[in-house]
Amino acid sequence: MQVALKIWRFDAVAGERKLVDYEIDAPEWVTLLDVLDLIKDQVDGTLAYRKSCRMMICGSCGMRMDGAAVLACKIRMYDIAQSGHIPVISAMGNMPIVKDLVTDMQPFWGKIRAMSPWLQPGYQDPGEKEFVVSEEQMDTIHKESLCIMCGCCVSECNSMESDPEFLGPAALAKGMRFVGDVRDHATVERLQEYSGQHGIWDCTRCYFCQERCPKGVDPRDAIAKLGAEAMKEGIDSDMGAKHAKWFVTSSKTTGWLRETELVPKTQGVARSLKEVKFAMGLLKHGKVPPPIPPHVAKDVDEARALFDLVSQQGRGGAAGIVQGEHALERLEFEQGGNPDRDPFGEGSFPEPFLPGQGEGEEEAES
Amino acid sequence: MDPTHDVVVIGAGCAGMRAAIEASDSGADVAMVSKIHPVRSHSGAAEGGINAALGNASEDDPVKHAYDTVKGSDYLGDQDAIEILCNEAPGDVYELEHWGAVFSRTPDGRIAQRPFGAAGEPRTAYAADITGHVLIHVLYEQVMKRDILTYEEYFAWKLVIEDGRCQGVIAWDLLNGGLKSIGAKTVILATGGAGRLYTGTTNAYACTGDGMALALRVGVPLKDMEMMQFHPTTLSPTGVLITEGCRGEGAYLLNKDGERFLVRYAPNAMELASRDVISRAEQTEIDEGRGLDGNVLLDLRHLGAERILERLHGTRELSMTFAGVDPIYEPIPVRPGAHYHMGGVDTDVWGQTGLEGLYAAGEVACVSVHGANRLGGNALMETITYGKRAGRHAAEWALANTTIDVPASVEADAERELKVLLDRSDGERPWRIRDELARTMHENFGVFRREDQMLEQGDVVRGLRERYERVVVEDKGDVFNTDLTQALELGFLLELAECMVVCGLARKESRGAHARPYDYPERDDESFLRHTLVSWEDGAPTLDWRPVTMTKWQPEERKY
Ligand SMILES: Cc1cc2nc3c(=O)[nH]c(=O)nc-3n(C[C@H](O)[C@H](O)[C@H](O)COP(=O)(O)OP(=O)(O)OC[C@H]3O[C@@H](n4cnc5c(N)ncnc54)[C@H](O)[C@@H]3O)c2cc1C
Ligand code: SF4
Ligand code: SF4
Ligand code: FES
Repeated sequence: MQVALKIWRFDAVAGERKLVDYEIDAPEWVTLLDVLDLIKDQVDGTLAYRKSCRMMICGSCGMRMDGAAVLACKIRMYDIAQSGHIPVISAMGNMPIVKDLVTDMQPFWGKIRAMSPWLQPGYQDPGEKEFVVSEEQMDTIHKESLCIMCGCCVSECNSMESDPEFLGPAALAKGMRFVGDVRDHATVERLQEYSGQHGIWDCTRCYFCQERCPKGVDPRDAIAKLGAEAMKEGIDSDMGAKHAKWFVTSSKTTGWLRETELVPKTQGVARSLKEVKFAMGLLKHGKVPPPIPPHVAKDVDEARALFDLVSQQGRGGAAGIVQGEHALERLEFEQGGNPDRDPFGEGSFPEPFLPGQGEGEEEAES
Repeated sequence: MDPTHDVVVIGAGCAGMRAAIEASDSGADVAMVSKIHPVRSHSGAAEGGINAALGNASEDDPVKHAYDTVKGSDYLGDQDAIEILCNEAPGDVYELEHWGAVFSRTPDGRIAQRPFGAAGEPRTAYAADITGHVLIHVLYEQVMKRDILTYEEYFAWKLVIEDGRCQGVIAWDLLNGGLKSIGAKTVILATGGAGRLYTGTTNAYACTGDGMALALRVGVPLKDMEMMQFHPTTLSPTGVLITEGCRGEGAYLLNKDGERFLVRYAPNAMELASRDVISRAEQTEIDEGRGLDGNVLLDLRHLGAERILERLHGTRELSMTFAGVDPIYEPIPVRPGAHYHMGGVDTDVWGQTGLEGLYAAGEVACVSVHGANRLGGNALMETITYGKRAGRHAAEWALANTTIDVPASVEADAERELKVLLDRSDGERPWRIRDELARTMHENFGVFRREDQMLEQGDVVRGLRERYERVVVEDKGDVFNTDLTQALELGFLLELAECMVVCGLARKESRGAHARPYDYPERDDESFLRHTLVSWEDGAPTLDWRPVTMTKWQPEERKY
């Protein structure tokens, strides 16, 4: 089949960036990475990109297709080529470009290092045996352990775009991998560290990282878990933490989010005085309810019951974070295909049989 | 000469990182050189697990582990090396766990262990289906903790030999361009396997046998190079590994008629027979015209959508992505693919090669613990145990010796050689040679070996080597020039292919991965219970032999 691509080439030495069209004949099974290989072999040997495993595990081949980060070895080209769409391939975002599709990953790794990403077991000594860890405890960090450090999440991170020093989704997910590990005894220090400037609370919750992660790490959930764990440990002096806390207090007491109190509760009274003029404007235009008397929702009991339930279940901290289990990217493989299609129906591959049993369908073992 | 270190480790997979950690803990100044970032190394692709007689799932001990390994190796493994591996394995696995490896657990909180092919006990410790991934990341965490320097994206191209010992490496800096020489008192090769010699392989693009060729070029012999293991279920056409877990769950292997052909080869074990038996059965079906486009079929349909989605989700994703086949409705096309190189750089049980100052560990090395056939789960264990041992010995040696000398002439020679290659503008680009090599190796030096085909392959490789002499690199730039490094890798592969053919022809018997059903169908302990040793002299391979080391076990027939 014919496959066409547009690739943003970048020559760092000349400082030149240009969009180049490519078209090539390729077998039907190819992935985006295979197409790049064919182009490099047959059209232009100077094309640069990273690759190694070609099986979605090494994390080398992160790049953008039509503006969204993907693993090149995970993108099957057949449908795209058939549809006539010509995708635009470019380097990942939020990182300096080295050449063509190759980015400088040093800032990425610098942030991973900033998490002190190694187990700190403290004074525990399991002796000549392993630490005893229950299946459940180990599963707690299964998702975070799936991370292949490809950078796709970081490429799409909104917060990182405005604050390049933001630790970012991959590093924070790595942080959660240790905070959630019962063998690690530096939890409080870690949470304090990660709660600082450019940390947990600087995430805008845009969920782009979660949507683009090719491995189902769900980094935004990991950040939420860190936030919840930090509050559980009483590490809540950051504005972001106070903001979140006020959401809870407000909905528990009145069933509503009392927005007028949100700003002083988050930023402190002194700082929020600056916002008074803005707040008056909102009030005048009916955008916020007047603060006095507090408006209590009719069904406030439900909000309170919900709060009690979560406390009863002991789901404070990370255990309470259950959102976003299925990032969009993965849905295609989590559905069971077409339930009406019979795998042994007409046009299907014949049923298996053992020689001597004859080839009839009745005898076939299933 | 740029920087110098006590120990330089070339390669940063499981073997390289474990070696570097040990050297660092032994007090040496150590650095790693790797052509890809450490966590990108192909160790991360290992799914199944790592073998150690922990005894968490049954009564087990290192002696049983050793016996299984000796027998699995078809008696070509060196028994002293195997005993070391099996004795040190449990402690080494516990250490990985103490560093934080996320192992799957038993209900009582111990490291879980699963049964694996040809192992008498369930002794494969695992982390779901991402064991290698978990290990590579835990090792990298420990590397970061120790702040071990890594020359990242540096392509090692030449070893520096001065005064009869290895004193460093000359590498191409991919990000910035240019050759850099890095001096060292000891150098450890940990560059992994050479699966890219074959079209269908489970190995990554980076697995081009570089370290084997580096050693060969400085006069160090390679051992048992004919021994390439084929995995029976690699996805057609790319060779991506489809886990043995599918057959564990009850999948069938079918020929083009839908027949469960294994009944004719392994009527008892059927789909659960050992890797080499199934690979040979598949190849026979394909050769005799009962395959489908050069494949057989792995059928999961009868397991039902629910079970496939729950237990074999990863397999479904791989086969939909890479073959466009949804295993709920269609059988998956699979074939034997090159998977693991038992052969490699000849070392002793401390990873030392015959050249002073040069060590090797991991898949690049041949100690030998796997002999003619590796057991699943033993390769990762070898990277850890022998990585550690090589790291320790190399550090101790380095700390006891002081000088490093990388003569300017060595650097100048390398620069000149590279310039000749880069200046050449007329000729063939490497990719056709690469593809032809991989295709012909598959055809002529694959699961079955025939005398005439091996002879033919020798001619093919020599022809390709001649063409390679005039090869052209299109990218002349300094920044991220993979066109250049890929050309250099092809040079390595061609030499290794020639070595393999020489060894294959000389081993006139069938043992483990080396199957010659047409002329020498039996194992011949009288003549061939010994290792092939191949060296490079005057531009061509020469062959020698070495007896197998035996401690406790005499050869028996290998039956499962
Ligand atoms: C798909 C798959 C599944 C497997 N599953 C299992 C399993 O379940 N259990 C098991 O025991 N074994 C398994 N194996 C085998 C095992 O994973 C490998 O043998 C082992 O991981 C090899 O490790 P290594 O450290 O020797 O090499 P690698 O991990 O391949 O690392 C090689 C390193 O060398 C570097 N390098 C190479 N050439 C150069 C150069 N010229 N210059 C600089 N650096 C260089 C690379 O950058 C890389 O860092 C599997 C193998 C595959 C392919
Ligand atoms: S949710 Fe947070 S971490 Fe994720 S992309 Fe958005 S801002 Fe970045
Ligand atoms: S969290 Fe996902 S997208 Fe981000 S680096 Fe890890 S695997 Fe890649
Ligand atoms: S090449 Fe390894 S993840 Fe794509």
